[in-house]
Amino acid sequence: MRLIVDGRPISYEPGDSLLIALLRADIQPTGGGCLCLGGDCANCLATVDGVSYVRTCQTAAKPGTVVQLHHTQKYPPLPQEDEARPAVPARNLFSDVVIIGAGEAGRTAAREAEAAGKSINLLDATYGEEAIGIYPGPLVVVRTPHETLHVHAQDEIIVATGAAEILPIVPGSELAGLLTRRAAEKLAQAGLDLGRVVAIGTPPAAVDCQLAAGELLRFEGENGRLHTVITQTEAGQENRYACDTAVLNLGLHPRNALLRMGHNLPVRAVGDAALESDIPACPNEGVVCPCEGVSVADLETIWEQGFHEMELVKRATLAGTGTCQGSTCLPYLRSFLLKKGKTLQPSFTARPVTRQLTVGEVSAGTHHHATARTALDAEHRRLGAQMERSGGWWRPWSYGDPDGEYWAVREAVSLMDVSTLGKMIVSGPDALEFLERLYPTKVSTIKDGRSRYVLLLNERGYVFDDGLICKESDTRYSLTFTSGGVSHAEMWLRDWAASWQMDVHILHQTMSLGAINVTGPLTKQLLAKAGLANPPGWLAHTKAEVAGVPCHIFRLSFTGELSFELHHPAEDSVKLWRALLEWGQEFGIRPHGLHTLLRLRLEKGHIIVGQDTDFDSTPRRIHHDWAVKLEKPAFIGRHAVERTNKIPLDKLLVGLEMADGPAPMEGAVIWHDGQFAGHITSSAWSPVLHKAVMLGWLHYFDGHLPETVTIDGRSARRVPVPFYDKEAARARA
Amino acid sequence: MPALKRIAATRIVAQPQVLDSADVPQSSLALRFAADELFVTPPLQDETIITAHDPHAILIREGGFAGIWLPAEEAALFLARNCEWEIPNGRPAFAQGAVASIPTKLWLEDEQVLFIVPAPYAHDFAERMQD
Repeated sequence: MRLIVDGRPISYEPGDSLLIALLRADIQPTGGGCLCLGGDCANCLATVDGVSYVRTCQTAAKPGTVVQLHHTQKYPPLPQEDEARPAVPARNLFSDVVIIGAGEAGRTAAREAEAAGKSINLLDATYGEEAIGIYPGPLVVVRTPHETLHVHAQDEIIVATGAAEILPIVPGSELAGLLTRRAAEKLAQAGLDLGRVVAIGTPPAAVDCQLAAGELLRFEGENGRLHTVITQTEAGQENRYACDTAVLNLGLHPRNALLRMGHNLPVRAVGDAALESDIPACPNEGVVCPCEGVSVADLETIWEQGFHEMELVKRATLAGTGTCQGSTCLPYLRSFLLKKGKTLQPSFTARPVTRQLTVGEVSAGTHHHATARTALDAEHRRLGAQMERSGGWWRPWSYGDPDGEYWAVREAVSLMDVSTLGKMIVSGPDALEFLERLYPTKVSTIKDGRSRYVLLLNERGYVFDDGLICKESDTRYSLTFTSGGVSHAEMWLRDWAASWQMDVHILHQTMSLGAINVTGPLTKQLLAKAGLANPPGWLAHTKAEVAGVPCHIFRLSFTGELSFELHHPAEDSVKLWRALLEWGQEFGIRPHGLHTLLRLRLEKGHIIVGQDTDFDSTPRRIHHDWAVKLEKPAFIGRHAVERTNKIPLDKLLVGLEMADGPAPMEGAVIWHDGQFAGHITSSAWSPVLHKAVMLGWLHYFDGHLPETVTIDGRSARRVPVPFYDKEAARARA
Repeated sequence: MPALKRIAATRIVAQPQVLDSADVPQSSLALRFAADELFVTPPLQDETIITAHDPHAILIREGGFAGIWLPAEEAALFLARNCEWEIPNGRPAFAQGAVASIPTKLWLEDEQVLFIVPAPYAHDFAERMQD
């Protein structure tokens, strides 16, 4: 049975861990340092079958395993893989109690829990189940060779992980040939010849060794290997012990990192994991944290700089944040701070995870955020649309000819899938009162069958969404919201309805309804052909069939041209879309994507909330004072709007134009007389106006807005919006 | 890839007590999404069983959800991999929450489980079922 180590085959014995196999071949995985064989230290790490940072003492040797040693400063070689590794699956387990560690203490805890009628999950690294983190839930994440377990505890988690042995921190502790007592016993049991052995502290069982007298002072060696242990008696006399192996019994400290992760969670420790730590003698020199290379001298420096608390020492030095997560350094940090500050400080906090993980293990059971698809998604792709994520949806950016799409809207007729628009219904005896409080417009003046553009304000009077209120009856309204804002808006509505104890029903129907915007000067002809002889007037809405599909039809315009939004059951979207495209052929119809829409609406100066607005955009700053009726006694944000209206404006969302192209990038800085004056929020070249048109935030200078500014080194002029069809004659045609 | 199909249903938002006592046909599957929300498939033929008791109730023809039945064993395996919350033991049972990070409603019977997701996420859900 052979392994491959750095390209060289080595033999191993049945039952060997990788580390024991390496030591049989006289190979030190990381070149030296005291070995614990308990999974605690970072001195046996290697890259195994392409996975770095594997604890070889915890990994069984198998035929053909490929081991690469971490030669350079204990860091692994860079991965050379071209192919992605397969995903690691996750599996969820549920029980009342989760016990980590199946030693005596863990088994006792398991028996007690079972006797109390609790269901349990008993985990142990020797079963290949390595608990690597505790999260709120509480949840234990467990690494196994083939999957990641998410083990959920209904009642509590019990940590029964035992105690780790304290490693030496003296000059020379990086040499090969140092073992903890348990490690020495395991190696002796595996039949390894340890040579001449010197023991410091209680000697290991079944290992012939010489007991060193006095306090450990340092190790000496040659070519990285130990040859002498030096101790010091109380009288100050040095004793030298020639040896091949030093076995150290310096005390125990609890393996309680998982417990420390579970702060404020129902997690407790039992057995040795609940022990108080032995506190070793404070080191005078040497490397305290081998993982991060923190020396005693470093600790002295940060102490002098005023870092006296354990958590600060950890942050200042990074001691305890490396591979072993403090298993080596923590007892010594406590010892150092005890000596300096005369107080024994608690251990530092721990955070998941306790082990280096692969990307596959980290991502097990997780998914990227799902992006919604409208009922027309396949239609868009079939038509060759370039799809983009926008507002949580896949949307067509363009069907390959943005200019052609643009002119279809301006001169003929076009379709756009606007199913992503947020859509809700509010119904009930308190519907009007509810909406009056919610919106800054006078809802009571909206007549049956009419709709109105509205802003949504938060308590600070800032705009956070916009849309339409469409009155169906005195007790029933349809509302629309932005595609990306509707989820927040739904919570907003539900929270306020509950807070005000309003007798209303709320239904979120964005995903239930498809919506197609039919727009362009020939729209009425197309709709007439599709069976809609009498479409609603400007800002009116009605219910009727179009192409045999029941639709709620809204007359409004975001493109600046004659437009009707056809809201319909999502399952009928394809039928309606195909019918309109087919019947629109004679009118030169073609669908348009977001790329075109963004230009069209910019020419009309229509804002997009979230793009043109900021977190502090008041209605006045975006020229939407007209949408706020301060004569209303109460609505959300009223007091804030009233107050901010009295404050002189410091910036305004303005229209800007530039005669020559190309249009500046969105986000471009606006300059005035060499000073920062704002930034561009929307920008596009207008095919119909033959100039670049922009919206942007412009700052006041001495109480005045600049008339001309500089963007990208070119001159731009401030102009009123809209840029196109100022009288709205086309939209209202 | 498993195919989720749109579910024809009626979605109702009404007073909880009206929904509690609604005389939904025995042959329908009625799932209580919330105290004030009921999902009935196939669609209700007689909406007056609700509107007679709550004139402000909202009833819509609902085609915005897609679903798929899986055999119980296959469903249990998929849920073990993709569901971070405990599935109820009793059958039949209704449960809802994130499955494979997608908002999902489950109708659990002895032999099979119906997975219902918003139709806009059906494509992603099917992909995740295949993983």
